[in-house]
Amino acid sequence: MRTRTTKRLSVLTLLITFVLLTVSAATPSGSEIMWEVYNRDSGETMSANLIMTITNARGAVRERSIAQYRMDKDGVESKLMFFLSPSDVRNTSFLSFSYEDGRSDDQYIYLPAIKRVKRIASTSKNDSFMGSDFTYDDMGSRHPDLDVHKVLRKETIDGVSSLVVESIAKGDEDYPRTLSWIVDGQWFGLKKEFYLPDGTRGRTLTIDSYEEIDGIYVITDMTMRNLEGNTSTRIRMEDVEFNLDFNDNFFSERQMKIGPRR
Amino acid sequence: MKHKTILLTSIILATVLLPAVAGDGVFSGMVRDYATFRFSQSDMPVHEITADLRYDYYGDLGKFTLHPVAYSYPNEGVELDIQEAYFDFYLQDADIRVGKQKVIWGEAEGAFITDLVSPRNMRSFILADFTEIRKAVPAIKVDYYAGDYTLQGIWVTHFIPSTLPSQDSMWAQTPSMPFPPTISATINVPTMPDASLENSEAFLSLGRFGNAISWKVNGGYVFTDEPLVTGVTAPDSTSREISQGYERYGFVGGSFNTTLGSMILRGEVALALEKPMNSVNTTSNPPISIEYHNQVQTLVGLDWNMLGAQWSTQYLLTYTHDHDDSLVSQMKPIKEFAHTLTFRVQNTFLDERLTAKLFTYMELEPANALIRPSLSYNFGDGVLLEGGVDLFVGDEEGTFGVYQDNSMAWAALRWYF
Repeated sequence: MRTRTTKRLSVLTLLITFVLLTVSAATPSGSEIMWEVYNRDSGETMSANLIMTITNARGAVRERSIAQYRMDKDGVESKLMFFLSPSDVRNTSFLSFSYEDGRSDDQYIYLPAIKRVKRIASTSKNDSFMGSDFTYDDMGSRHPDLDVHKVLRKETIDGVSSLVVESIAKGDEDYPRTLSWIVDGQWFGLKKEFYLPDGTRGRTLTIDSYEEIDGIYVITDMTMRNLEGNTSTRIRMEDVEFNLDFNDNFFSERQMKIGPRR
Repeated sequence: MKHKTILLTSIILATVLLPAVAGDGVFSGMVRDYATFRFSQSDMPVHEITADLRYDYYGDLGKFTLHPVAYSYPNEGVELDIQEAYFDFYLQDADIRVGKQKVIWGEAEGAFITDLVSPRNMRSFILADFTEIRKAVPAIKVDYYAGDYTLQGIWVTHFIPSTLPSQDSMWAQTPSMPFPPTISATINVPTMPDASLENSEAFLSLGRFGNAISWKVNGGYVFTDEPLVTGVTAPDSTSREISQGYERYGFVGGSFNTTLGSMILRGEVALALEKPMNSVNTTSNPPISIEYHNQVQTLVGLDWNMLGAQWSTQYLLTYTHDHDDSLVSQMKPIKEFAHTLTFRVQNTFLDERLTAKLFTYMELEPANALIRPSLSYNFGDGVLLEGGVDLFVGDEEGTFGVYQDNSMAWAALRWYF
């Protein structure tokens, strides 16, 4: 009797080990997934029009539109944004340089009223992006080394197979734990949940639409819901173009004053 | 009257006809209703409605900009002005702007060091919007770009002086003349330089836009923007006639900005070479003359983010070389060393709808200040409601203390379209 039980246990252990080994061989680690996301081809250059719809707790809606240009070159991400509306910020432009080596961003703003480009103190990554529910961190690519990642499970969202990755921040963050639903093999997120230090869910990012443009997956419609403040921000991207031929001086003081591409 | 009719016709053309016929044009603007309440008099000295219009037409070569502004006051006529009207030509490595334009130089906020191309409109002292304090000049401006470097040359074809407050304005100051009380003084309207090539102004600047440091060196050959007393005559024993005019000088200077940790460090300096200044000596004849002195103005500023707010402070020093106590500007004493501090803090609340701001100028000697707290609420769709207080405090001999009877509360409603 004892021999039969021992044999069964041995077989079960072998089976479990085999299954675990098979799964771990097929599924990359959390860190590998987030590096794939970080290194995913997002085009060396890109332009798009962003339409941002901000809804407050009372349901009042504000809309902002921005023409955005981006270039990744030699470890520097250059980004130039022109505010098209509302009318009180029209013709304001914002230029930033973000460095892969961890240096602080260089940021400049052009205010048409004072006709001058001003260097501005770098904003905190956790600050709100233009009064929206997105932070500056949300608008860029978060470096994988800032968090510890773990794959929790596989899940299907709208028929798309995704891997749920838990990320725990190494440093102090407003949202120290996040869950990301990453499309298996394509390495972009379909959903993200942000948890407060007390463990409750603070924000949820949902992807409502994405497209493949020039072989690159682009999120064209997403909504961030702030569950604490009962507010939300939807960002739609239109007229997305990749591999544009920016001249060397496009991300410059001159272009900030001139306005969007002429 | 004829001039106003032409101007009004131009504005109507700009606002109505051009957008209709030009598909590539953009029409925008701002309408503002601004009113003040003065504490000392319990009166409302200013109630101003402003229509600030702008039309930009984009063509293959560049852009045409027309920027008319109309001011309306109760029981007074409409005051019309073409603030700017210029053509921009965009070339491969250069931009050329021709026409009536405002040019802003330097790194200072609320101070004018190398920023000497556009004169100032002081009709509301320094309380108007920054863009309204500047006056446009008829000029040709060329920017040539070579990598990170920009070479800028400006030729101002006709000299335009600063506008001082009118004599019936709450901001007007009665100059103290060096004559006995028995003598009456008549101050004549300043004589303008003849419109000639010789009397034009020229400016040159070389700058580099870099992430480690951005800098500019610049210079110019200019007129004093404010008039000087150029002569005193005595038609009879009980009266004096004072002539005013504008005198030439040159300046060289520069500015920079860079990061200092998470802060922004800014600096600016200008050396005015043999700048003409009035000197008052009651024992001389005439008692008011012109002397020439070198003068240095320098500024250092820091900007940073803290507690979710934007902070900024500046220190401005003016040094007049070979100084003596007789030197005056607008008949007020010029100090050998003059120290001014500015401080600004600004924060937004309610999803950036509400902006709270405090801006302060402080002169150290004599101690006096202008303190400007304000709130602005953005309703969306370009509609903003603003309110604030402008407090002039301290010694009445100071630039700001002299206006302590003008401390006031204000409110404004703006609509941008």
